[in-house]
Amino acid sequence: MGAGWSYTARRLLGAVLVLIGVTIATFLLLHAAPGNPAEQVLGQRATPAQLHALEHQWGLDASLPSQFWRYAQQVVHGDLGTSFVYGKSVTSLVGPRVGQTALLVAVAVIFAILITVPLAALAASRRDSFADQAVRGFSVLGLGLPSFWFGIVLIEIFAVNLKLLPVGGYGTGFGGHLESLILPGVTAALAIVPLLIRSLRVGMLEVLDADFVAAARGNGLRESRVLFVHVARNAAVPTVTLLGLNIAYLLGSTVIVENVFALNGVGSLLLQAIQNRDFPTVQGITLLLAVAVVIVNLITDLLAARLDPRIRLR
Amino acid sequence: MDTNLDPERLCLIIPHFSRADVDRKLALMPYRLSELTRRDLLIRGGEGGAAVFGLSALLAACGGSSSKSSSSSSSSSVSSSTGAASGTPKKGGDLVFARSVAPTTLDPANTIIAGDIYTLNQIFEPLFITNPDGTLALWLAKSFTTSKDHLTWTFDLRPGVKFSDGKPLTADDVVFSIKREAANSVGPLSFLDFAIKSVTAQGSSTVVMKLKTPWAPFESDMSVFANAILPANFGGKSEKAFFQSPVGTGPFTLSSWTPDSNLTLKPNPSYWQTGKPYVDSVTINYVTDDNQRVLQVTSGQAQIADSVPPANVSQLKSNGAVNVSEFPAWQVDLLVFNEQVAYFKDVHVRRAITYAINRPGLVQAASFGTSKPGGSFFPPSLEYYDAGTPVLAYSVANAKSELAKSAYPHGFSTKLLVSGGDQTYAEFAQIIQADLAKIGIKVSITTLDHAAFETTFQKYDYDMFIDYAINDISDPDEMASFETDYKSGGSKSYWSSYDNPAVISLVHQAEAEFDTTKRKQLYAKIQAQVAQDAPFVALDYPPYIYATSKKVNGFAVNPGGAYRLADVWLD
Repeated sequence: MGAGWSYTARRLLGAVLVLIGVTIATFLLLHAAPGNPAEQVLGQRATPAQLHALEHQWGLDASLPSQFWRYAQQVVHGDLGTSFVYGKSVTSLVGPRVGQTALLVAVAVIFAILITVPLAALAASRRDSFADQAVRGFSVLGLGLPSFWFGIVLIEIFAVNLKLLPVGGYGTGFGGHLESLILPGVTAALAIVPLLIRSLRVGMLEVLDADFVAAARGNGLRESRVLFVHVARNAAVPTVTLLGLNIAYLLGSTVIVENVFALNGVGSLLLQAIQNRDFPTVQGITLLLAVAVVIVNLITDLLAARLDPRIRLR
Repeated sequence: MDTNLDPERLCLIIPHFSRADVDRKLALMPYRLSELTRRDLLIRGGEGGAAVFGLSALLAACGGSSSKSSSSSSSSSVSSSTGAASGTPKKGGDLVFARSVAPTTLDPANTIIAGDIYTLNQIFEPLFITNPDGTLALWLAKSFTTSKDHLTWTFDLRPGVKFSDGKPLTADDVVFSIKREAANSVGPLSFLDFAIKSVTAQGSSTVVMKLKTPWAPFESDMSVFANAILPANFGGKSEKAFFQSPVGTGPFTLSSWTPDSNLTLKPNPSYWQTGKPYVDSVTINYVTDDNQRVLQVTSGQAQIADSVPPANVSQLKSNGAVNVSEFPAWQVDLLVFNEQVAYFKDVHVRRAITYAINRPGLVQAASFGTSKPGGSFFPPSLEYYDAGTPVLAYSVANAKSELAKSAYPHGFSTKLLVSGGDQTYAEFAQIIQADLAKIGIKVSITTLDHAAFETTFQKYDYDMFIDYAINDISDPDEMASFETDYKSGGSKSYWSSYDNPAVISLVHQAEAEFDTTKRKQLYAKIQAQVAQDAPFVALDYPPYIYATSKKVNGFAVNPGGAYRLADVWLD
């Protein structure tokens, strides 16, 4: 138990350091990038006096260290600041969008699993067959193609031609949300599926050579049972770890996927905020995403340990 | 002098035209919040854009409302295109608008952002508005007169106008609103009110404005969205609370709003134009992806999409479910020269480059023929545009001989700055690069994201850049002074540092000239001189391009980019 607690403490400390690092890096990058938020809001006719007045109101005329110190104090108190563009608190802007993005990520993870497991099992069970080659070819192709392209193709097929699903937007009601998230979910999932398939396939191949698999087969178990119960479970550990690591990547890809599908989630807000140099909003969202990634990684580690007791949390 | 076109009266004269189809103009200067503001809004009504709004809609509008007409004169002829009439306007239906720009505030005085302007002008109205053809029309003002010295302007308010809370419009509301804007030190467009000395109410329905100087663009200034009329003292609320649930005289009121996502409007029950708006609700969805906006209309999820990419236009025109409309804009795309750089201080270099750029070819290649090739720095949709401007038309031979007269006869190497994320400008840059190579000028292209781009050229840290200039109001003084008045125009001639005292003097003369014939001559001289001095190259005049469902009637956009959704009805 003692070892577990010190592990948790170390992980938490690490998480806090990561968040501080992300906060500092975002702050510095934003201030180093050319482009003036006051210019963006006031337009080309703004006089220097108007620009200064607005910069003063936003506290942008203070020194960088003092700006950062003030921001850090706010964040510690749970205040992410006020958007330059909307004049509303960043939490009130981001809050209503978190659900949309979280649901998108959840749907994407489900699709990722639904696509990965059968394909990896197929490839592993018929090693070097045509099916195996096809799955591996699909993975390589998938890695090379941008996800927005998949998105547009899916829209063309399922929304425009077959008219089965909405072109974009978030629908109304929970059913409407889910329906609207099918295409974006698949699109986002496809961004990480190739990696997952490769990992699970390799894992399964290793396990297939293990003695207990031979024993299971020897006991007359059906091949499908051997594959999905005994092999898949043991091969799952590296895949779950990989999935956890890729949640960060998935969150990043929501920025693009949300745009392609007209979802007004956290990702699309981040993109707008960057274009508008809306510093507080960019900083707030970046921090939230960092928190999400840290938490998911922590959960992944714990889950991996649960799946495979041989993994020690040190 | 009593100048102006009363829409009521127009209804009598030209059955096609209705007060309702008139739109106010408001544009968003060359200022945009992100790439997603002005430029992306360019639209226009393909096969007869203006014609989209039906004759009968207009007739109905004309018949449907009360009020007196006022005398009018000057200002522009109303050119009405023939309308493809499509039945009597129908009430009802929910209009969904997929739009590339989101509102950030509904305060008319404190924004320059397209998403704000085109939303708040469904809620608030000014004294004048701009018609889809770019002419001015009396709106909340029923008539006006000016004193002989042009220093006193008296406006009579339209009777029977009510705010959405049911209270009548009074002179006090106008006084409050105009004073607020004129005194707004951080108002992006408050410079338009600089001439105002005092604003006072005379009784409950007359407003008197005194000016510091005779100012010809004044009625046009009064039409800008920033001068829209709010209830005096925000109807007793705090400013912040007021703009959370705004009260205006416009056809719609705010129903719900999720920032950066969607906004819903519902009809104003007290609207002064009886019978309007036609639709039961308007939902404006913020959709940044070009492809997605267009698909939402083709699939029926939305009925109107803005900023259709020029590349999609011909394909969409063959789609039976949608109309594509291209509306002329008060916009010109410019290649600006930095005269603080030695090469571009030399007028022969600037002229040579102007000759060298194949503008008709550029329009075909980069805008797929949707925009018109550039000539004068005034766009053809702008009042006092002179089609006879002696422009330096494309000619490689002339370009070479002009460059031979310069201090750099064998050419030189230079840089061209463009804003990223704009496909059309990226293509312009490549075409210009190729055209200039033919006369020995080697161009390297620098691309920055929009915010960085603006900061860079506004620090004069560039050789040449491509951007667009826009007029917010129907009067051309705004564009003339912003682009050529080095001393007091506000931008050192659009950051070019072009300084021709003769031109500046003409600009000031035109500002104080009330005789439209003389004014026209002054602006013709300005356009001719600027064309010869070549401080920038007018590359093209792009339109606003919209896609609408075939069910949509009565949708029209004025050259400032504004539209009146009150006139829209659904089949």
